[in-house]
Amino acid sequence: MKIVVTVKLVPDTNADKRIDPATKRLVRTGVETVLNPFDEYAIEAALQLKEKLGGDTTVTIFSMAPETGKEIVRKALAMGADDAAMLSDAGLEGSDVWGTAYAMAQALKKVGFDLIVCGTQSTDAITGELPGALAEYLGVPGLTYLRKVDVDGTTVRGERETDNGYQKVVAELPALVSVTKSINEPRYPSLKGIMGAKKKTITTLSLAELALDRPVGSDGAKTEVLDLAAAPVRGKGRMVNASDGADGARIIVEFLREKKLL
Amino acid sequence: MRDVIAFIEQHAGTPRRVSFELATAAKDLAAELGGKAHAVVVGKGASTLANTLKNYPIDVIHVAEDADADAYLVDPLVDYVESVAKATGPAVILVPYTMIGRDVGSRIAARLGGGLTADVTEVHVGGGRVVSVSPKLGGLTVTSCAFKNVDYGIVAVRPNTFAAREQSGAGEVVQLEKPATKSYPIKIEDDVVEAAGELGVEEASTVVSGGRGVGGPEPFTTILKDLADALGGAVGASRAAVDAGWVPHSHQVGQTGKTISPQLYIAVGISGAIQHKVGMRTAGTIVAINKDAGVPIGEFADLLVVGDLFQIVPELTKRVREAKAVPA
Ligand SMILES: Cc1cc2nc3c(=O)[nH]c(=O)nc-3n(C[C@H](O)[C@H](O)[C@H](O)COP(=O)(O)OP(=O)(O)OC[C@H]3O[C@@H](n4cnc5c(N)ncnc54)[C@H](O)[C@@H]3O)c2cc1C
Ligand SMILES: Nc1ncnc2c1ncn2[C@@H]1O[C@H](COP(=O)(O)O)[C@@H](O)[C@H]1O
Repeated sequence: MKIVVTVKLVPDTNADKRIDPATKRLVRTGVETVLNPFDEYAIEAALQLKEKLGGDTTVTIFSMAPETGKEIVRKALAMGADDAAMLSDAGLEGSDVWGTAYAMAQALKKVGFDLIVCGTQSTDAITGELPGALAEYLGVPGLTYLRKVDVDGTTVRGERETDNGYQKVVAELPALVSVTKSINEPRYPSLKGIMGAKKKTITTLSLAELALDRPVGSDGAKTEVLDLAAAPVRGKGRMVNASDGADGARIIVEFLREKKLL
Repeated sequence: MRDVIAFIEQHAGTPRRVSFELATAAKDLAAELGGKAHAVVVGKGASTLANTLKNYPIDVIHVAEDADADAYLVDPLVDYVESVAKATGPAVILVPYTMIGRDVGSRIAARLGGGLTADVTEVHVGGGRVVSVSPKLGGLTVTSCAFKNVDYGIVAVRPNTFAAREQSGAGEVVQLEKPATKSYPIKIEDDVVEAAGELGVEEASTVVSGGRGVGGPEPFTTILKDLADALGGAVGASRAAVDAGWVPHSHQVGQTGKTISPQLYIAVGISGAIQHKVGMRTAGTIVAINKDAGVPIGEFADLLVVGDLFQIVPELTKRVREAKAVPA
């Protein structure tokens, strides 16, 4: 069975994120790039499935990102994946959710898969829209927000988180799943894994190799950023010492009354 | 784009609160565009809910009391929204920025080749185009985004940012025909409700969150829950509390949890790390209870009360209950 994990490369959360006022895009140079933290859960879920299924099950990492992202993709390989494929092309710059999902779907068809594992969202955009759109373009069932996943034979089943519980869901392969952070605790790459990753293959695909029938990148984007503004700053408010519980409660109640919240 | 379609999220006949926010936003936007406001209600209990929707400013309410929507994940919903969209022609489709809403929105965008904006807190018409405003980068910036070259614009709206308004619209109810579909691919074998009737953190107008300082699972179901109940709100948590196994992940607020905009956020025993802050910085008012006067949350809370949470929270609940019983 072939499992493909989609990973996004994002600016480090602790790094100072900046938007270029001219292009209205995230500046990705000079900022440390990391694996989207959500995708580590996806990689771990795929590796656990491989360990369980054994045999000829393989895990491939897939990322649509500039070639400079290779070293970060290698980190995913160091966790234990077998190989990787990247879709890298200058023509993809400025893609929105639509273009990203469309181009990725065409590339993933070429790579081939029985199961695709996505993270639920990315820390730079936090749209969480890619997995659904990708499933639609691939024409496969999209089982999203899973906190448990299992594959047996030709079926994938899982527990999908809901706001007040969970749902047991099941579908036939090939399929796409997205996994939440409650699914597992991602492993750290071992020294052996890090050394081994250097020898693993990272294939690069370009747009020319895909049969796209519509424009992607900025030309194909269906949304356009008109304006970017700094959000209003939340200033420091009041600080009051409470002499005991009742005093603390009194301070808060008075404050809530003043704010017309009580 | 003239008409506006609101996807009504519901579970066994119970609508999510955000659904009424969407119904109201749909009408306001449709008025700006000179079109009609539509609502799509699908699944068990849809007919009853359609009646409730007549109290909101909707022109046409499309209903499908179809059990398949509860037996299969997402695809039936997408099919119905698609059929309404095709009938109205170029339109704006509003979905909630929730788990189900994100799935419906992203799939319908892909299916109709539409544009998509996410986590939207404001939508209006500017220069003849539909413009979505949303906080980005953990709320550091606010972006305005317009659709271009598309017939359909899908707007995923953040719960709790648009006000719901009771006001009757034309309220014409139309029964939807079942789309001719292949079999639905994802079967829901079991739907387990663990916290019946509880409001999610995204939807509650007040959220009382606990962090590592709360010390264990118990206070989440006792003192924090009592305070949240007294205020008519929901219980949230920091990642530290979730990772410790004290509270389910669905309650987590922050970068790897939910981004919320309640009117009032009360942080109890939470230090206010940047990854927590990005999930709640757009709250109307932030109150923090912490024993340490130097915590980071003091830098952006409207009120920081320095003291022991175990003493303050139960007293506060008592005072809130009193205040609600005897309005000041
Ligand atoms: C990639 C990444 C993603 C993350 N995502 C999230 C996220 O989504 N959400 C999130 O919350 N965090 C997230 N974090 C973690 C975040 O960095 C912090 O570690 C976390 O928010 C700390 O939780 P806390 O405030 O509950 O705990 P602490 O920082 O330990 O704070 C506990 C507080 O309780 C106070 N306290 C203790 N006892 C009492 C008492 N009796 N009375 C009053 N006050 C008391 C202490 O003074 C202290 O301020 C993420 C981190 C990373 C690296
Ligand atoms: N450029 C990309 N390359 C590979 N995977 C991606 C990319 N963008 C998004 N994803 C996947 O889609 C998930 C959700 O991302 P998003 O919709 O951008 O929040 C991520 O966790 C990844 O698994």
